[in-house]
Amino acid sequence: MKLTSLLTYLFVATAALAAPVDFVRDVRPIFEKNCYDCHGEKKQKGGLRLDMKTAALKGGDNEGPNIIPGKAKESSLIHLITSTDEDEVMPPKGERLAAAQIATLRAWINEGAMWPDGVDVVKLKDKRDHWSFKPINAPTARPTIDSFIDTKLFEQGLHRSPPADPVSWLRRVTFDLTGLPPELEDVEAFLKKLDHAAVVERLLSSPRYGERWAQHWLDVVRFADTHGFEVNTERPNAWPYRDYVIRAFNKDTPYDRFIKEQIVGDTLGEDAATGFLVTASVLLPGQIGKDEPSKRLARQDSLDEMVNNIGQTFLGLSIGCARCHDHKFDPITAKDYYAMQAFVAGVEYEDRELRTPEAIAARARVIQIKNQVAALDKQLSRFVPLAKSGVKRSMINARENVDRFAPMTTKRVRFSIRETNNLEPCIDELEVFSTAGENIALNAAVTVSGENVTADRHKMRFVNDGNYGNSRSWMSNETGKGWVMIEFEQENEIDRIIWGRDRQGKFKDRLATSYVIEIADASGAWKIVADSDDRERYDASKSPQLGFVTKGLLQDEAAAAGQLLTQKRELEREISNLDAAQKVFAGIFRKPDEIHLLNRGDPEQPKEEVTPAVLSALGNVKLDKQTPEQQRRAVLAGWIASPQNPLTARVMVNRIWQGHFGTGLVQTPSDFGNNGIKPTHPELLDWLATEFIRSGWSVKHMHRLIVLSETYRQRSDGELESWSVGNGQPAFHYSTTPAPHEIDSDVRLLWRFPSRRLEAEAIRDSMLAISGQLNLKMYGRGYDLFDKRGGLAGFNPVETSTPENQRRMIYAHKVRREPEAVFGAFDCPDAGQSTASRRASTTPIQALNLFNSRFTLDQSTAFAVRVKKESGDDIAQQIQRAYQLVLTREPTAEEQNDAMPIIKKHGLTVLCRALFNSNEFLFQP
Amino acid sequence: MKHHAEHLSITGRALLDRRQFLSNSATALGSIALTNLLGLDGLLAAENHGPLIDPARPYAPRQSHFPGKAKNVIVIFCAGAVSQLETWDYKPELIKWDGRPLPGGPAVTFQGPAGNLARPQYEFRQRGKTGKWVSDMIPHLAELTDDIAFVHSLTSKSNTHGPAENFLSTGFVLDGFPSLGSWVTYALGSESQELPSYVAIPDPRGVPQNGANNWGPGFLPAAFQGTTMSSKNPVRHLAATGVPRDADQAARSLLQKMNARHLAAHPGDSKLAARIASYELAARMQLSVPEINDLSTEPMHILKSYGADDTQNPDKAAFAKNCILARRLIEKGVRFVQLFNGAYASGGKLNWDGHSALKEQYDVHSRILDQPAAALIRDLKQRGLLQDTLVVWCTEFGRMPFFQKGAKGRDHNPDGFTCWMTGAGVKPGVSHGVTDDLGQKAIEHIHPLYHFNATILHLLGLDFEKLSFEHNGIQRRLTNVEGKVIREVLA
Repeated sequence: MKLTSLLTYLFVATAALAAPVDFVRDVRPIFEKNCYDCHGEKKQKGGLRLDMKTAALKGGDNEGPNIIPGKAKESSLIHLITSTDEDEVMPPKGERLAAAQIATLRAWINEGAMWPDGVDVVKLKDKRDHWSFKPINAPTARPTIDSFIDTKLFEQGLHRSPPADPVSWLRRVTFDLTGLPPELEDVEAFLKKLDHAAVVERLLSSPRYGERWAQHWLDVVRFADTHGFEVNTERPNAWPYRDYVIRAFNKDTPYDRFIKEQIVGDTLGEDAATGFLVTASVLLPGQIGKDEPSKRLARQDSLDEMVNNIGQTFLGLSIGCARCHDHKFDPITAKDYYAMQAFVAGVEYEDRELRTPEAIAARARVIQIKNQVAALDKQLSRFVPLAKSGVKRSMINARENVDRFAPMTTKRVRFSIRETNNLEPCIDELEVFSTAGENIALNAAVTVSGENVTADRHKMRFVNDGNYGNSRSWMSNETGKGWVMIEFEQENEIDRIIWGRDRQGKFKDRLATSYVIEIADASGAWKIVADSDDRERYDASKSPQLGFVTKGLLQDEAAAAGQLLTQKRELEREISNLDAAQKVFAGIFRKPDEIHLLNRGDPEQPKEEVTPAVLSALGNVKLDKQTPEQQRRAVLAGWIASPQNPLTARVMVNRIWQGHFGTGLVQTPSDFGNNGIKPTHPELLDWLATEFIRSGWSVKHMHRLIVLSETYRQRSDGELESWSVGNGQPAFHYSTTPAPHEIDSDVRLLWRFPSRRLEAEAIRDSMLAISGQLNLKMYGRGYDLFDKRGGLAGFNPVETSTPENQRRMIYAHKVRREPEAVFGAFDCPDAGQSTASRRASTTPIQALNLFNSRFTLDQSTAFAVRVKKESGDDIAQQIQRAYQLVLTREPTAEEQNDAMPIIKKHGLTVLCRALFNSNEFLFQP
Repeated sequence: MKHHAEHLSITGRALLDRRQFLSNSATALGSIALTNLLGLDGLLAAENHGPLIDPARPYAPRQSHFPGKAKNVIVIFCAGAVSQLETWDYKPELIKWDGRPLPGGPAVTFQGPAGNLARPQYEFRQRGKTGKWVSDMIPHLAELTDDIAFVHSLTSKSNTHGPAENFLSTGFVLDGFPSLGSWVTYALGSESQELPSYVAIPDPRGVPQNGANNWGPGFLPAAFQGTTMSSKNPVRHLAATGVPRDADQAARSLLQKMNARHLAAHPGDSKLAARIASYELAARMQLSVPEINDLSTEPMHILKSYGADDTQNPDKAAFAKNCILARRLIEKGVRFVQLFNGAYASGGKLNWDGHSALKEQYDVHSRILDQPAAALIRDLKQRGLLQDTLVVWCTEFGRMPFFQKGAKGRDHNPDGFTCWMTGAGVKPGVSHGVTDDLGQKAIEHIHPLYHFNATILHLLGLDFEKLSFEHNGIQRRLTNVEGKVIREVLA
């Protein structure tokens, strides 16, 4: 330090020490110049702001105060401005604080950090002072939707457009409510009477309505049929929740009940509904680290997803923001966040057994059938050549192998693998049969050489748990070897072992190609009863004969065995169908975890324990620690599904509005907080919310109100009319009178109907409907879009059309994150995060997919066949029919002329393909 | 509503003049500035965040926040977590401690009980002018160290592949957030209008863990999704299989007529115009994509230098072809190329997840990676492309200094690992950040991957705090609420 600067330093320091530091005169200018950029009104890095007394003395997020009055040395503020570590010094960029300034701050703190009240220029905004947190304003008069819309238009010098022609309205409302185009008979019927209300009733009572609107809901709750993350394993029992949502919309389940069912449906006879709680991606036990911090973090992440889902979906709030620190914009503290977690702290992501009468009956039936299968096996066993009898036995196959030997009495059986076709061996169900024909290995004590558990699959106990399939098989932890030993409670006489790699026949890797089966005699010594040495040599190129083999049997023996085998396969098929009908991925409920407030959201830094409580700014419902699991969820559901909750009804009517107009009155449908966009028509929103509650939370009632309004009935190309004068020639007078387009280019005020592109599902479903291929089968297990239903990446699309995959797209088995090969590009949500509103982007990939895919070509061909069948050989009539079916209108003479020569030369399919790609088809009128 | 009117004036009143609009629409759609934003009507404009995007030309080049040194990016993504200890982070202490337990070390790590410390499984030697210690596992890449900036002190938020690859690719451990490439192409568009702006090239052995989430658009418009293609599998639906050429052309011209008439009846509807333009773009892609995939035009010495001629090692040859494809895409102006090395979880057999037999498996993997990747960088440099192309080498986390109990491999380690970059804007020959003597934890200049991603954006002229997108009430960024540019690696 040079002498002069040293002197300056001493001088200033002394001066600073001499007179008491004045906050306004001495301190605030330093903060203002050096700190406000990051710690002021606009930004609060690390949660710290220094322009306001209360906030500044509180300190940053989870750090505690940075300013400790009287103790400059202990105040992190001083530490940070004096630090020599480039990574932590403040300010991080630009000039460092001058020595004099540091001295001033030090002195100010040591003198007690006096910060007079009332000197702050800015005021902390009360985050609770926000329209959506206030009670719904019920208007006293009985206005209509149109009156609200007109008021706002009038204010801007605008007016509604004239009504659309009846057919356009019919197309619009049919797509909106059912996701499909109108049938020609419906057009005719409507044009005769022009009874709009009748059309709406017909559409609302059509099962197609629920299929359409359930999709909107599933977008929001990010439903999928796989677990997500790296392994993305199939979630085979998720679909009953999807079916539940479809049914609920079709039944018009009152929305308050719909909420309750999804949170606590286990008390309301709607088991599948709680699928809502566990729709998110989740790490399965095998994917989570064995170390405790990994387990704690995974649990926190899975609880977080539940809280997010509840907050976004029902309340339109991003509660999840408060996981690490108090919400930046909304009155949600970190403590509020963890108190919300406590409501669902007993929910686990797992399958739950359904308790419907059907499911109970199915379970009983499975037991019955299994006994029948056992009896059949016993009969079949006499046709299997004995091991070690000198007869060459059949080649090992991946599905099922039988080893029969002379009856032996033993307590222990050991199956050792000596070689595999590749990797670590897998055994799917090792069954040991007593001479009485009973599988005595089932759930007996088991020991293995080692296990290789990934993603909750391949556990040791799966080897004899009675469940078939790869995910319920045991895997050794060594390449090419491993052993399993089963021990019975007492000695048993046995004569048969059945085992496989995958009893469902899907997997052929990891197959034990060389093995030995031993039993322990009375002395405990092992004795070989069967091995692979007398089987035909394993050869992967030969197609294995599945299971039981009749080769080498006498003719009548083979016939008898074949018959038994057929019976057995049928029973097994029935078992797998019945198994699927008994479970739903809707969470299991157990004793709730103890929930703590976590410092910066870190599970390794727990603070005080937190009990269930609703958001403190919105209510005072609190539960104590002893509250049982189910009651916690019931209380939460009751608080959300209450007419007094200012958010619940508003959020839902806004979603319904968005479903009809493309954009909600609140443009941010899952954010009604301070950071959301304010409603364009607040009074209308509140009126709709009031009407919603008054109608008994009837969603269908809201549809009626909206689609029968004149606002909804307007033309979509409204500007033509608005701009026309006199002779019908357009007049361009926007230089003096602004055109509607100029005043409201986004049509948020609804001076015309805002047309929009159909969503992926509506396009696909409509193409199938038009081509005549749509399979209207409802409900049940989803059809395959890919060559597999889950698992590690690498999904190849199924391109061949089948009746099953020509069902509506909501019935597709939804693989999380994997876009459907043709329609995924049309902004289909990936079910990673919630999709509250669909984007409608335009990309060349969409064009390639829709123009060139096998799907489009197949449907164009099928469509052409349909048209010819319905309209005969006359090309003009074919063109007419095609236009009617795709666009619900007649072709013009010009269009006839365009299409005619092309069809003559290249066939009708060309026209069909073009129509499916046309803007007129893809956009709602 | 006022801002909308203003917004309109920016994009030109030409749109309001329907006579002009109609006369343009048939011929030169691409030249008209359109008002609405690619499925975001109003939202972006209202909030004034993010770039303005012309829906008719979603891939049009756009201004960066400030002049960036890099124009394009190639990310070499090594799936499965490459061990820093066998590659770039030389730890002589570990040789001394070989076979001894780590005092005070964890008893249990991700996959189970910890075993003894294990020396690097390859010999290390000093390379180039900087004398950087690099292992013999990657002899070709090792020759390039004078041009590389290493960050040895990275950390991840997860020790599990799925969430950690999400974190590396999207900045979040959860599923469903936009990938780095999506953010970049959303911000900058592309120099090429005939190819997708963002291409993901999966490893010939299979797609990486987490698959499409590594190149997914999350909640960004689908236009910014990575398009997958490789030397083995071209883009899907490039042509209508089985349709004669003239019938195909007839369908196309019929469609054009239909759409032109429909547009005339709906003047000023930019969404309709955008769709028409998308078919024109698609038609161009139909020609340019097969061309880019046709490596027969590459001279033999190039194929050889990448190892694309290696008949003994088909996986290497296929990866080499992917590397050549990456270069060709960059040459054509594609903004972002993600080149995957390593496939899905397979006990370390198909990717870098060396839990049980690390040396044996890395011998295989390194032969596939090394020569082709090194040749790619040399080739880019030789053609002058490295001046405005950033090449990033990354992996989701590192590995432990000890073996797993009873195995010859290392478990997951998110607390200190190495990634590197080279090319445009990168300071050559730097090693930044330090792990402890055994290479277990970053101890100096600790950088969560947020910083690494922020640095990539910075090199492209993008401010990681400004590049954001509203989703469900939150202004989302690639680096969440974190981030910091690692200035030490900037030229």
